[in-house]
Amino acid sequence: MTLNIDYIAQTNRLRDVNSNLKIVLSIGIMLISLISQNIPLEICVIILAAIGIMGVARVKPSIYLKFIAIPFAFTSITCVFLLFFFGVGPVIWDSGIWGIVIRQDAYNLAVLTFFRVFACFSCLGFMSLTTPINDFLHALAKVHVPKIFIELSMLMYNIIFIFLEEVETMRNAQKSRLGFNGYMNSFKSLGSIIANLFFKSLEKAESLQRTLESRGYNGEIPIYEPSK
Amino acid sequence: MLEANHIVYKYEDGTKALNDVTVKVNDNEIVALLGKNGAGKSTLFLHFNGIFKPDKGEVLVEGKPIKYNNKGLLDVRSKVGVVFQNPDDQLFAPTVQEDVAFGPLNLGLSQEEVENRVKESLKKVGMSGFERKPPHHLSGGQKKRVAIAGVLAMKPKIMVLDEPTSGLDPKGASQVLKLLYKLNSEGISIIISTHDVDLVPLYANRLYVIKEGQIIKEGTPSEVFSDVKTIRGANLRLPRIAHLAEILEKEDSIDFEGEYPLTISQARNQFLEKLDL
Repeated sequence: MTLNIDYIAQTNRLRDVNSNLKIVLSIGIMLISLISQNIPLEICVIILAAIGIMGVARVKPSIYLKFIAIPFAFTSITCVFLLFFFGVGPVIWDSGIWGIVIRQDAYNLAVLTFFRVFACFSCLGFMSLTTPINDFLHALAKVHVPKIFIELSMLMYNIIFIFLEEVETMRNAQKSRLGFNGYMNSFKSLGSIIANLFFKSLEKAESLQRTLESRGYNGEIPIYEPSK
Repeated sequence: MLEANHIVYKYEDGTKALNDVTVKVNDNEIVALLGKNGAGKSTLFLHFNGIFKPDKGEVLVEGKPIKYNNKGLLDVRSKVGVVFQNPDDQLFAPTVQEDVAFGPLNLGLSQEEVENRVKESLKKVGMSGFERKPPHHLSGGQKKRVAIAGVLAMKPKIMVLDEPTSGLDPKGASQVLKLLYKLNSEGISIIISTHDVDLVPLYANRLYVIKEGQIIKEGTPSEVFSDVKTIRGANLRLPRIAHLAEILEKEDSIDFEGEYPLTISQARNQFLEKLDL
């Protein structure tokens, strides 16, 4: 994945700002954007977030654009569909083909949805690009999110990267033996990667259990709060 | 300090992984366990801190047998620190400092004391300044050092390391062994498993050779490596410099009286002697 959110979260300029503040701010504004019907408000949020991410946190514009590109694409497609295939009110534009029309309320909804989603993603982007994951997990713990959920997330986080590396290695090994030549072959190769990964994760779970026990694991991962 | 006496351990399918294995580590020693892949080294090491319970035989820590209840195991694990071969199997936390803090926190120490231990351990392994890095951003050697720090932070009396130099470049391997040597001089007993025979004579006081779940030789490096037949029979080899001496003895009639030099400095002394310089 060329967009390494994790690395950016560690190296941006807002890294050391109180994470609780960042999280509360992001989620708060995201909720407001979600409920609001006010398009100018959404646009403000988008601009503010963009300034926050690129201006203050000094995340490179190219990176932020990459981040925002996927939700942008999805939203655009969704809104186009909303525009043309929904609504029950008066028609404002008739394309002339097969009765596909744009109705007033569909138009309003599509525009609102587009900016709303964009605003929410901007908030999400602000949070995930400036807050390292462990600060995020600590904040969750403070709000009394069940401990098991946090521990699972913490363990999964590290393991995801290790597995991504392994998948990459396996794929390269298969590619080197022409495992991705042709459609059917590619599916077969992918299938064996998935199966292999399943067994590896079972093995890894066992090893992890042993190494954690060797350091006195008693079922709960303790929280470390250094004085910084 | 640590004794594994007459250990028998069977896998689920009945094959004996360990067949009457006895290994002892005395205070302040560095002991090396040599054996080929699959000989049983890792399996034996998992007995040292109670992860595995032997089918027969017992494991004594500081003279007392391991009690396999929660309290007993926590006690053993605070005294016997095991570092596994693959650091990716051990580093689980989102940041280095949280990972190293795991052990001391489990021992019930205060946040302040844990912080001190984390700082100290990272300093000892040369990873100060890496506290907030995520482990997957580290290189193999760095991960290994963090894994060692994580065990060090529990202040064990003996450290057990499974193939500590595997996968490391020569400098990395040498750094790890220097670190172990230093820890040993500070009073920690060490037992490592390895097949890096060239580095072993530099650091180990005693060696054990294991083959197919049985100890086939034990003694000081010179005692063990002079039994060339046994060494080769166990899929191992002599240190390169000793092999050179063996060839010189057999092919060029330079007599070493069966006492091949095991390290470069030993070889230098002996060669200079032979050459009358």
